[in-house]
Amino acid sequence: MPLFGKSQKNPQELVKGLKDALQTLQNPSKDKDLKKASDDVTKILANMKVMLYGTAGSDPQPENVAQLSMEIYQGEVLKMMVENLEKIDFEGRKDVVQIFNNLLRRQIGTRSPTVEYICTRKDVLIALMKGYETPEVALNCGMMLRECCRYEALAKLMLNSEEFYDFFRYVELSTFDIASDAFSTFKELLIKHKMLSAEFLENNYDQVFHNYQSLLNSENYVTRRQALKLLGELLLDRHNFTTMTKYISNPDNLKLMMNMLREKSRNIQFEAFHVFKVFVANPNKPKPILEILLRNKEKLVDFLAKFHTDRSEDEQFNDEKAYLIKQIKDLKAPEES
Amino acid sequence: MAQEEVIAQLPAFEDEYQFNIDETVNEIDFINDDENLDNLFFHRVDSAQIVYQPRRRRAKLIGKYLMGEMLGEGSYGKVKEVLDTEMLCRRAVKILKRKKLRKIPNGEDNVRREIKFLKRLHHHNVIQLVDVLTNDEKQKMYMVMEYCVSELQEMLESVPDKKFPIMQAHFYFCQLINGLEYLHSMGIIHKDIKPGNLLLATDETLKITDLGVAEALEPFAVDDTCRTSQGSPAFQPPEIANGLETFAGFKVDVWSAGVTLYNITTGTYPFEGDNIYKLFECIGKGEYKIPDSVDQLLASLIKGMLEFDPKKRFTIEQIRKHDWFRKKHPVLLEWVRLPPKSKDDEDIYRSMTVLGYLEDLHFGTPSEDEFDEQLVPETIDITNQITPAEDGVTVENSETMDTKGKPSKEMKPKKRKKGASRFGFGSCKQS
Repeated sequence: MPLFGKSQKNPQELVKGLKDALQTLQNPSKDKDLKKASDDVTKILANMKVMLYGTAGSDPQPENVAQLSMEIYQGEVLKMMVENLEKIDFEGRKDVVQIFNNLLRRQIGTRSPTVEYICTRKDVLIALMKGYETPEVALNCGMMLRECCRYEALAKLMLNSEEFYDFFRYVELSTFDIASDAFSTFKELLIKHKMLSAEFLENNYDQVFHNYQSLLNSENYVTRRQALKLLGELLLDRHNFTTMTKYISNPDNLKLMMNMLREKSRNIQFEAFHVFKVFVANPNKPKPILEILLRNKEKLVDFLAKFHTDRSEDEQFNDEKAYLIKQIKDLKAPEES
Repeated sequence: MAQEEVIAQLPAFEDEYQFNIDETVNEIDFINDDENLDNLFFHRVDSAQIVYQPRRRRAKLIGKYLMGEMLGEGSYGKVKEVLDTEMLCRRAVKILKRKKLRKIPNGEDNVRREIKFLKRLHHHNVIQLVDVLTNDEKQKMYMVMEYCVSELQEMLESVPDKKFPIMQAHFYFCQLINGLEYLHSMGIIHKDIKPGNLLLATDETLKITDLGVAEALEPFAVDDTCRTSQGSPAFQPPEIANGLETFAGFKVDVWSAGVTLYNITTGTYPFEGDNIYKLFECIGKGEYKIPDSVDQLLASLIKGMLEFDPKKRFTIEQIRKHDWFRKKHPVLLEWVRLPPKSKDDEDIYRSMTVLGYLEDLHFGTPSEDEFDEQLVPETIDITNQITPAEDGVTVENSETMDTKGKPSKEMKPKKRKKGASRFGFGSCKQS
């Protein structure tokens, strides 16, 4: 059967062909078959992509798109494609990403059929997250994951899975591009759906922040800086009010921020300032926090007075700094009762 | 009666003496069926304006920003298009005059607050403040912002039924909700959401603007309780119309966004009144009608957003989860396009207006009386620039005569070099 004939293959044939070829790749029996199967996969994926996106001259045909998606759901092809991504060649992987993302965006009225489908096939998401462990496909998986992040239902599944905590490891990977890709997915999960992530952070406070601590203490400068910046964003988002109150009540967190204020890197100092200010601005400081601040009162005032004095342009920063200095100067020990 | 008819029959130029500027517009309209009358307006323009002040594109730099044409005018001052000459980015600048600001209640405070807020906001659905420049001598302030081509209000007014097709309204509304959610997450309540405060970038990204009456919650405030509001009356919720001491801020924005949604999908307002008292009375009762043309899904979203009781009113989260919000709307009617700036403007894309000034900046011939040392870089050697250009034109003129007034294409660029005279259409001297 020629794959590139005049007559285009119909969706059923494409899906069947892809399944067969992927199965061969998965369980290779003879060496000969492997090469052919790999070529077949690449060709079929290219055809599927054209069917979904159309070409420069022609728009995609709605009937074909509908039929192809049906076939893909029924044949459990999404899972197969993701799980065998490593065995598909470079061009084919890129096509998988495009096909996956196109299907995900599909909408019929208020329904998103692919999103609903993946909700019942959590293992697809898990496989995608695990993708960060395979350097060859990490970035492809990242692109698909971030597309998934756009949908609250999928983001929820990911946040609440055990595998979410693997991100704390992925963002520290030694390969820079994979680590940053993982970080952007991680950030997207925590920022995109405000209510969802607020709820998640509240319910899983201990586990998340225990892990987060390791990012803030990371040996890796980029990880440390990015994590600190994200922490500031999360705490200052009003949706995360409860989490913020909890975070700034813990004296260990304050100590960490005070140490980070003295880091070598000015950028980290600056980011730490934006978290530190929340501890000081809190009108209801718990006793342990107040005690630490009181004990270091003079030093802190001196330190802040000299802190980043060259940022004269940044009015907001200077206002905040002046406010903090005043707050710390005015600190009084609570009356013993 | 008879007399009026006589007037209508009089030739246009005689009318000129009978209809002074202080005559009401209606009376002019009454006889305006005579086409000749259009000339009247040309006759009435003070000649001094035309003859003695030829319209020239003088390059004017404010800092590194080269000024272009005016984009709009608000109560605070003009908004002009500018070009960042270092980054080559198209920007808009809001020019604020202290004199004007003082006359507006809370004017200066509002501006100061707006700048403070904008500086810490970074979201693609909220206008980005790029730079703030001040000129103490002239008592002016320049707020450099992202460039936007139009605002929702202008687009609405350009179409007969003053509304968008559902798909387009949905496209803008989703962006409005994204922007609002961000503002709220930063603890900012906008308080003046309306189509007039929603700008569109060239790629139709919606940008929430005008945070002049916005309020920032205290970082440790437990809830979003507000006390004051200065927003546009027609978009205010019942709790404000009824003068409640305190109210929930986020729900104010939800209400205004609801009125906005009502407005852009129906072309009308849910609450109306001849004056602010009647309007507030109407809003205070909270009774309104949704036109039958609105489908059920949209009607239920509007009802949720225009819920009288702020506690029952939708949250941003509920809006997001509403089916109308999530629905993919079919393309039924034609998308409302950017209206031309004015009737005779052919540039439907609103291309950059700084170009002419840019040419003047580099090839211009500043006349002595208008030469502003501060604004035009002194390093440009004027005499050297003029001579070759003038030569070019002389040669060109003689050649043009040879070919009987048909300038060849090659000459056009040469002609451009002549600086001031290439924009001669404003000058009567030449015609």
